[in-house]
Amino acid sequence: MVTAVEPWARRVLLCLPLIFVAIFLVVPVGLTVMISFLQRAGLRFLPAFSLASYASLIGGARLEVLRRSLLVAIEATALSLIIAYVIAYFLARKVTPAAARIVLVLFTIPFLINYIVRDVSYTVLLGRTGVVNTALMAAGIIDAPLDWLLYSDFAVLLGLISAYMPFMIFPLFLSIGAIDRQYLEASALLGASPLTTFRTITLPLSLPGVFAAGLFGLVGCLGESAVPIILGGVGYELIGNTITSSMDVLNYPLAAALSSVVILLMLLLMLGWYLVFDMRSFLGRILEWRA
Amino acid sequence: MTRVNVNRRDALRLALSLSAAAGLGLVPPRAHAAGTINFADIGVGDPGGDWSKFEAASGYDVNLVSIGNAPSAVLNVLVASGGQGTYEIINIVGGMQKPLVDNALVEKIDTGRLPNWAKDTYVEEFLGNGKPGFQFIGYDNDIYGVPTVLQGDSFAYLPEKTGKLDSYAALFDPKWKGYVALEDNYTTAGQKTALYLKKAGLAKIANPDDMTKEEFKAVTDFLIDQKKKGQFRVIWNSFEQAVNLITSKEVYVIDCWEPMVFVAKSKGMDVVYADPKEGYLLWAMAAYLVKNPNRTAEQTEAAYKLLDFMLGGWYGAKITNLRGYMTNPQAETYAKDNPSEFPAEQAKRVAEITENVRRKFSQGGTWQNRWPTEVEFYESEWSRFKAA
Repeated sequence: MVTAVEPWARRVLLCLPLIFVAIFLVVPVGLTVMISFLQRAGLRFLPAFSLASYASLIGGARLEVLRRSLLVAIEATALSLIIAYVIAYFLARKVTPAAARIVLVLFTIPFLINYIVRDVSYTVLLGRTGVVNTALMAAGIIDAPLDWLLYSDFAVLLGLISAYMPFMIFPLFLSIGAIDRQYLEASALLGASPLTTFRTITLPLSLPGVFAAGLFGLVGCLGESAVPIILGGVGYELIGNTITSSMDVLNYPLAAALSSVVILLMLLLMLGWYLVFDMRSFLGRILEWRA
Repeated sequence: MTRVNVNRRDALRLALSLSAAAGLGLVPPRAHAAGTINFADIGVGDPGGDWSKFEAASGYDVNLVSIGNAPSAVLNVLVASGGQGTYEIINIVGGMQKPLVDNALVEKIDTGRLPNWAKDTYVEEFLGNGKPGFQFIGYDNDIYGVPTVLQGDSFAYLPEKTGKLDSYAALFDPKWKGYVALEDNYTTAGQKTALYLKKAGLAKIANPDDMTKEEFKAVTDFLIDQKKKGQFRVIWNSFEQAVNLITSKEVYVIDCWEPMVFVAKSKGMDVVYADPKEGYLLWAMAAYLVKNPNRTAEQTEAAYKLLDFMLGGWYGAKITNLRGYMTNPQAETYAKDNPSEFPAEQAKRVAEITENVRRKFSQGGTWQNRWPTEVEFYESEWSRFKAA
């Protein structure tokens, strides 16, 4: 039996996450933005409204790093979305709930493995003398090792996809699973092909989940610093690496400016998600009590 | 420059292990210690956890905590993590005096309180005031760091693949295109490249130790050109990664540190640490006395005793034997004269390493500069190189 929650109790309950978000998110982000405008004096900052860090960001190689980071993050997110959508679709529509649960549990295993261990294991697999090249050469498929398997765009994308794609399956599974099957049955009864039904019903109704999954992937990929270091070879300075690098010379305002730009991009994406989609369609029954 | 890849996680693991060991009675309690010296170190200065000689002589325990060696990591430990009020000594690759002294994080060293200082002839020979090496321990004519380790770096190669190599030109030789690795560090790879460009007459660089913006830009442009031609396979970031690149033969020529070659050789690899005609990248580690506002006069005295202990023969021999770096002039003699502590094989190793590093210093090259005048420009240009 569900009992009504008193209005004051509801407010208290709401206050807890609000306080948590304020202390652990709003305050640090606010300080980061503030530091980005301060003037440096050794390790200390002078109160000022300086745009020097933003000018440095726009004028130097950092902008190219930001552009490249966005491009790589978008590529990895798009590829991850395609893979995750196919997996989520089959789990939500084509297998029994019990089987889906087992597969979903299996997809939580990557979260239990240290990301550095996972990335380093790729170097063992994909190197010139690694397992894959050795096997391909032994099978007579190739004559010389495939250099592009490691320290390449391919390796970075592989690292990013394997790191963040499992995160994306869950919102997609929830979103696809929440679509009323009667819509699909009606579409079929009216003569629509499975492809048309998917294109006109399943895909549009699962878009809140697609956007949520995309956001999870993009945020992770954009801030990633281990994958480019371990798998990227020579050419991967992504935004996470350049933030760390600027802190090495104690340029905290520049690091803060870079971080602020990334945070702003993410906030704009979240705002778009909020404005375009009714979050209740994604969060399902969690918010139904408000109605 | 991260000489040893020890992070906070490793430190925490070590702390937990020690706590567990203490709980099980595996670590004997030191009930009668007069106090504790908190000693932050990048991993190189740990004599295998054995501080018994110092503790017996001073009555003080040593609490060694591993920290990172990057400037931001060091400053985070001292400033953001409250380390200034915790640590007595911080032992890192030297040359960090400008940010440390300018921000009142370390104290001037009173060398008169260190009996072993006068016995350390390396100070005057390599690190004396007026010499390029002084920037590893001194600032504004004062001493701020006690030299604990000295070394010269070059690059390693696989002779079975390349034959004998004796110049940094190998790093940029089209014959090894795609089989070369550099360290991700503008004060090591950047300076070695500058040394090569200067000696080969390919760029006008007055002083690779402290380049102007124009000079470092020329270095970066050269590296970007090489990168676009596909010369480099990877830029490495950690000790283990570099060792793996050598042992897996992923690369044939690698800008790296000599201990990586020791590790690769111990795994049966035929690897040579090059003796380049252009010379070496010379550097030293320095133990700084932290300006700790909570420290008592007695603790300061004990900290000085520890600094002096680190200039002594036993500590020097132990570190040379464990890490492969030259330490102080007493190390070789101590190891030879004390076979009960250092068997003949270890004493021989200490002598060989010391002789090898002395040879590097006599050959010269360029002194690594951890905090060059244009350090921010270096960092920005290195980002340009990596992003190109």
